[in-house]
Amino acid sequence: MSPPSAPQPQTTAIVLVAAATDEGTAAALLRWDETTILRRLLDQLATLAIARVHVLTRPAFADAVDAELAAFAGVPAELHVTADVAADLRRIADIAARRGDTAPGTLVIVNGDVVTHREALAGLLADPRVTTGVLSTGGRTGRPFTFRIRSRRGRVVGAGSPYHYCHHTTGGFLGVLKIAPSERRLVATACEELAPLAADPPASWLEELEHKEIRWRLSLARTQLLEGDAVPRGPHDGEASLPRVDPSESIDVAVLDAVELPEERLAELRRRLAAGREDASALVLVGMVRAGAPIGNSYLRELFWARPLSEADVAHAREEILLYDEDKVLLDSAVKGTDGFFTTFFVSPYSRYIARWAARRGLTPNQVTTFSLVLGILSAAAFATGERWGLIAGAVLLQLAFTFDCVDGQLARYTRQFSKLGAWLDSVFDRAKEYVVFAGLAIGASRTGDPVWVLAGCALMLQTIRHTFDFSFAAAAHQTISATQPPPVAQSWDSLTKPPHPLAPRPAGAATRAPDGAPLPWPQRIAAGALATWRALDRLGPTIWLKRIVAFPIGERFAAISITAAIWSAHTTFVVLLAWGGFAGLYALAGRLLRSIAR
Amino acid sequence: MSPLAIYRDDGPLAALLGRLGAAIPLWPAALVAIGLLPAAVAVVLEGDGASEGLAAACAAWLVLLGGVSRGRPLDDRLRWMVPSLLRLGEYGTIIWLCAIAGGAAPAGAFALLAVAAFRQYDLVYRLRTRGATPPPWTAAVSLGWEGRIVLTWLLLAADLLPGGLYVAAGVLAAVLAGESIHSWTSSLRVDAPAVYEDEEDEAA
Repeated sequence: MSPPSAPQPQTTAIVLVAAATDEGTAAALLRWDETTILRRLLDQLATLAIARVHVLTRPAFADAVDAELAAFAGVPAELHVTADVAADLRRIADIAARRGDTAPGTLVIVNGDVVTHREALAGLLADPRVTTGVLSTGGRTGRPFTFRIRSRRGRVVGAGSPYHYCHHTTGGFLGVLKIAPSERRLVATACEELAPLAADPPASWLEELEHKEIRWRLSLARTQLLEGDAVPRGPHDGEASLPRVDPSESIDVAVLDAVELPEERLAELRRRLAAGREDASALVLVGMVRAGAPIGNSYLRELFWARPLSEADVAHAREEILLYDEDKVLLDSAVKGTDGFFTTFFVSPYSRYIARWAARRGLTPNQVTTFSLVLGILSAAAFATGERWGLIAGAVLLQLAFTFDCVDGQLARYTRQFSKLGAWLDSVFDRAKEYVVFAGLAIGASRTGDPVWVLAGCALMLQTIRHTFDFSFAAAAHQTISATQPPPVAQSWDSLTKPPHPLAPRPAGAATRAPDGAPLPWPQRIAAGALATWRALDRLGPTIWLKRIVAFPIGERFAAISITAAIWSAHTTFVVLLAWGGFAGLYALAGRLLRSIAR
Repeated sequence: MSPLAIYRDDGPLAALLGRLGAAIPLWPAALVAIGLLPAAVAVVLEGDGASEGLAAACAAWLVLLGGVSRGRPLDDRLRWMVPSLLRLGEYGTIIWLCAIAGGAAPAGAFALLAVAAFRQYDLVYRLRTRGATPPPWTAAVSLGWEGRIVLTWLLLAADLLPGGLYVAAGVLAAVLAGESIHSWTSSLRVDAPAVYEDEEDEAA
């Protein structure tokens, strides 16, 4: 079953067919079942409201691609023969500027050899919230050969290409780029600026290309070492062996550099480098980032993705993709990854099936949101009786309300029915539910002779203050990001200083130094050290859950209200909310103060 | 206006006091914190036994400094603390004034704060989902954080708690909810792009 997607009739796709196999044929024309990778992709795009396709390909592939397009009747497709990446960029600029076009729509740039699920493409193309964005992964998919990106607060603020280095990366760009109509002009300008540079790369670009090859080789060597069958590079007598390494530790570059890679890995490295140099999509992304365009992320999540460049890659991908249950992955990824402990382990495991049931019944997220609010008001009414049965009934109703509160978001993500009103209703009704329950509890307590209005008011104050800290900190961070001027595209690196050579030994104590290498003043040094410890704790599995519980998110709060009210009294509920929430607030405040000082 | 300036939820009085801000070279967060200090000390030492005069003086000091902070630029590294400190001042003072009045007054405080909270969440969520803010007249009608402190003190002085607060909260709730519904029904026809944000770092 494929959930419905909102139609976007004006979308134009630019499909890049530039990567080659070892035999010198187009990788996108490798066979896939009865068809080819390119046709498979075009068929997927045709179901995603793409109105027009432009295929950009090299002269050597032109005839074969033309024959392939002749057999494709999905949407009108036009073939453009481009000699190199610079020509790709110029043609993309032309299409983006859409000279003579009265109603330009969304533009999609995609590598023609991408093999993934339709749902992964739909996650980017059919999500109205991501008007301009990339398909990306925070995981290991495609490593090390995908170009890396750096995101902050969901926005792509740094990107790599064959010629561009990206520092402090957070993910990988998966070769699909969506551009809102409002950004097409910017893309055209960026491509025109990039084209002459790509035609005749400056020295720093070529240097970065060399470094990229070294980094990729070191990364392959690391994999080789961890798999335990590495041998040292260069002449040796068969006795020499490399040290066993711990996967969690970083390995000295000299050790990695000494690893000899088997021929098939070296062949892959050569293929990937060649394909990377033909990849106009990565350059467009860099151009957009450096021009300051707001670019969002659509994550691959647990779906399959690959760019096969050989028959062996295809065979492997076909085996792999069969292991994925698209509907299950879709349903699983409808659950937010950042939910709290209670929500993740006590609600989401079954609420996702309610979401799927609701999707099949054709219910909308807003209907579920409203139903949840009604349950919340009923819960407050039950609490307001002040009787024991009322407190127990209220506790149960509140948990039901919370379940449906999770269902609405999961339903929206599962069926991709996002709306601005829906987002507003969901947020406002969540707050309304919580505070109306506070009122219900306080009314109930007053009726039994224990007025707790001051405590109720304080609980409301504390929760509002905690939210306001979240909102304001995010707003200030966005302000900082927008105010940062990215470097021009001609510069190959995007950190403050040029990155060191990949084979240079790494300096110790990086956290206590400013990006330009100077020692930091002491308050920043202490804050940076504390932050490093803080983040190291995150990497220890269970602490992340402990931290999420301590943060007292909505699931934990509603559970605490239900349990304390049902067993004890409204008075106990408010004391627990104030104590736990107060601790959580101070904990979050401390972390943010550290981050503000360390900056 | 920057989002942080919108999140402040200032009323007409703060807008007026903000003109003094240019003369005082302090970070806005520091100004609000200094404004909160006397009230915090008085609450700890006197609690709900504080005299109405003392409470009035503390509230006036808070309104003055919080209002002045409106005129300071929000560009320092602790600027994100300002809206929360203002909430602490507003909510804390209103609860305190009503606790001093005693009896059923704190229930009135809860009613007014619930409406203030709706206003403030609406400011945030409307900006996020639609990139829009409520029209300026709503800031005047809802009085802003400082106006609601003054209103509560006036009702306390006039011995109109909690009835006066119920009336104020009821009227305000009707006006603000009405404006919200009206703005949504008229906005569904015009679609403005909004910056999408996954609430990654937020404890929902």
